[in-house]
Formats: sequence, structure tokens, C-alpha cells
Amino acid sequence: MSWSRAGINALLLFFLFIFQESAVSKINLPITGFSLYLAILLGLMALEDRFGAVVLGFIGGIILDFSPSADSPFGKWALVLTLVGYVVAVNGESIGDFTKRPLTFVIFVCAGSIGTLFTFLAFGVLLGENNGALGHNLVMVFGNSFWTLLFAPLLLPITIKWRAKTLTSRERA
Amino acid sequence: MAAGGSNRSRLLVIILIVTSLFLITLDLRGVSVTKSSRSATQSFLAPIQRGVSDVFSPVGSFFSDIKNFSKTKSQLVELKAANARLKTQLVFNEDIKGQLAKLNGVLNLAGRGGYKVVAARVIGRGSASTFSQTITIDAGSSDGIQKDMTVMSDVGIVGIVKSVSASSAIVLLMSDPTFRIGVRIAGTQSVGVLFGQGSSRYQLELLDTSGTIKDKDILVSLGSENDRPFVPGLPVGYVVGVDKTTGTLTQNATVKGYSNLNGLGVVSIIIESPKGDPKDSLIPKPTPTATIYVTSTAGPDTTTATSSPTPIPTASKSASKAKK
Repeated sequence: MSWSRAGINALLLFFLFIFQESAVSKINLPITGFSLYLAILLGLMALEDRFGAVVLGFIGGIILDFSPSADSPFGKWALVLTLVGYVVAVNGESIGDFTKRPLTFVIFVCAGSIGTLFTFLAFGVLLGENNGALGHNLVMVFGNSFWTLLFAPLLLPITIKWRAKTLTSRERA
Repeated sequence: MAAGGSNRSRLLVIILIVTSLFLITLDLRGVSVTKSSRSATQSFLAPIQRGVSDVFSPVGSFFSDIKNFSKTKSQLVELKAANARLKTQLVFNEDIKGQLAKLNGVLNLAGRGGYKVVAARVIGRGSASTFSQTITIDAGSSDGIQKDMTVMSDVGIVGIVKSVSASSAIVLLMSDPTFRIGVRIAGTQSVGVLFGQGSSRYQLELLDTSGTIKDKDILVSLGSENDRPFVPGLPVGYVVGVDKTTGTLTQNATVKGYSNLNGLGVVSIIIESPKGDPKDSLIPKPTPTATIYVTSTAGPDTTTATSSPTPIPTASKSASKAKK
């Protein structure tokens, strides 16, 4: 991933973060809320190589750490998403080109969302945070993944197009 | 895309993990840079959230409205039928009408707390990925809002002010798993702690070993020192289930909150509380029900009106002939 593309993606993630915090989180979806930000970030990470996924994960995590409603220590999301970025990229490589396997892509992003939220909770336990009742957390994680599964078929084609547009000619070659 | 070597990516992962851990350490050690960055984000987001709130407010409640639609509809039908019945019966006797109005007036004399409050609009909710249950309101330090002030709705407590910027504030909802509040059972005066559970149900742990909890017991806030973060006497919720587990030192119960935290549009922040504890005077009083018993006798009709406190106003007329 070129640094210019990293910058463009950071800008996209920043606007997504604003949209998530000001608009998406206002919608009272049944079960629990939907993280559009996480779905698109995971989609972008899955399309990258290891280096790109890790960089995107870190940038995405740092932006998410700025969330005023977050109770977790600053840097926790960066740590979680860096690790998730690496895992997503390594597993993504074994699956192959996601652009030719849309259903796999959707399921992969959904599974990534479950993994990310569980990793976040696990780090919370390690840091001595109060995560609340397990049942509630399970509802939160699987509720969010349900919405990701539902919305991903709409979002991921846009993510693929966005990535294709931002690729430099050198990266295309 | 440039294909990164695995060594290069591994090194990058290690560098970024170390950086993240460094940031976490800084934050846990209380370095103000990280805390002020969130405050700055809040100040930046508040005007955007306020703008978007106007556009998204009808969409925001769409799903909860759908969820409650059938319930509301059946309630409406029920109330309409009850209302029609009531109207038909009331025309029988003008005296009864007068008595009902008087009764209604007497039962509606509920004392109110006299708190000095600042009203605020809810302009945002905590993100789905943060696991914390918060709302953002459009009032901040410029309106006199400070950290740890009590936030209430029209029916009871909502939460406490978690952080404040100039024009907005973040409120930690009482449903958040980290939320704890000292409560008192109205009537028995037993004291306990209420824990947020992430939903509209809460866990009550009674501190009083000899105290007992019953279904429908009403809980009010116990209050804190200098009324921060909790003012005393605010309705919190009512008991919906008592834990019958034996072998525990204290009794536990499940509590349902008065405030519907998913449908909050406007809240009030208590910036000054009255000098005295309002005790139990703020507990929501149910709408009075008029049950009319009409006894027909050979002579002129004797009519008695009594009332019982149930939420839905209904009227019933039982006419029976006097025993011969």
C-alpha cells in the first residue's frame, strides 16, 4: 500500500467515523446497533496485503479511539485492529481474490466483525475493564454481526470500487 | 498494490502493537493528551451531530416505532373501548360526573421536586462498537452543565453526565454495565445498589440483610454527598422479579427502569437540587380509575364512587337489585 493511498483511506475512514457517530448510531436498530465503520474497515483490510491491512487497521483503530463515547483506554482499538488486520490479511491470502467471491467476502467480513468485537472484549478483560454481563455482550457482538451480514452485500461492492479507484498505476501493474 | 514482504509486515505489526501499547499506557497513567483528544473530538462532532439529529430523528425511532406499533394499536383500541364505555355510563348521572372530576383533582395532587434543571435534546447515541451505553446531548458547560450531574427524563433517572464540552455533553446511561446507583425502596426504606445490565432491566442488590423485596416495589435514588452524582428521591424503577435463590446474604431482584432509554428525545440535567430530600413524592402516580357502583333500590338511586390506582382508566357499572 502506497502512503498516498493510506492517506486517502484514512480520510475516508475519518468521514465514515463522523457519519457513524452522528448518523448511524442515532438509528435504534432492533437487537443492537450496526457499526458501518467496522464493516467497511474490515472490507478494506480484507482486500489488502498484510502490510496494507496492518496499516489500515492501525489508522482505523486510532480514529475509532477518538470516539467520545468510548470508555476504553486510548490506543485499545488501534491495538485490536492492528492484530485483526494482520489476521484478516493472512487468512484472506489463503482464500484468494475476494472480488470474484462475493459471498465468501460477505461471510469473511461478518466473521471478522465477530472476531474484532470478541478481541476487543478480551483485551478489556486483560486491562481489568468492566465489560458487563456476558449475555449482553454476546447479544451486542452477534447483533452487530447480523446487521453486518445484512448490509455487507450492499456495502462491499462499493468498498471494492473505492479500492479500485484509489489504486495507483504502479499498484495496478 | 505493492506486495509487502512478510518480514516487513511482521516488523510493522510489532512496531504498531508497541505504539498502541504505549498509547494505552499513557492513557491509563492519566496523561491528559489522550483525554483532551476525545474532548476535542466531542466538541468537533457536537455541531455535526446536532445538524444530523434533525434529519435522522424520524429515521432513528423508525424501528422502535414498528416494534411497538402492534402494542400501541391494541392499547389504543382498548382505551377507545374503555373511553366509550365510560362516556356511556357517565351520562346517566350528572352527580357522578362531578364526583369523578373532584376525585381526579384530588388524586392528581402529586408533589413535584422543585429541581433547577436544564433541558437538552439528545443529539447522538454511543457507537455500536464502543460497548458503552451513552447519549450525547446538546447542552454543555456554557449552559451550566458539569461532570457528574444527574440526568432525568419526565419519569425518572436516565444517567449521569460523563464528560462535558462547551456545547455538548456525554451522558452515561443507567443501562451501562459500569453504572451503579444507590437506591432506596419507597415505603420500607431498605437500601440497595442497582447495577446496569445493558438493557432496560437492572439488578438490585439489597444491602440491608433483614430487608425484603417484593414485586412492584418502587425504587428511588438514595442520593450522593453534595448531590453529585445523584440527587435523592428521583424515581429509578420498580421490581419485576425477586431472586428466590437461597443461601445468599442479601436479597437480589430484577428491576425495570421507569425511563425508556431507547426512546429518549429530550432530557433534563439537574443543576441545582432542592435543599430537602423530596422523599417519595416524585414516584409516578398511576392515573386514577373510577369504578362506579350503582345500586338501584325501590327508592331513589344510591350512587357511590370509589377509586383504585390502576394505570388505565376504566369504568364499570354494576347494577343490582336490592334484596327483597
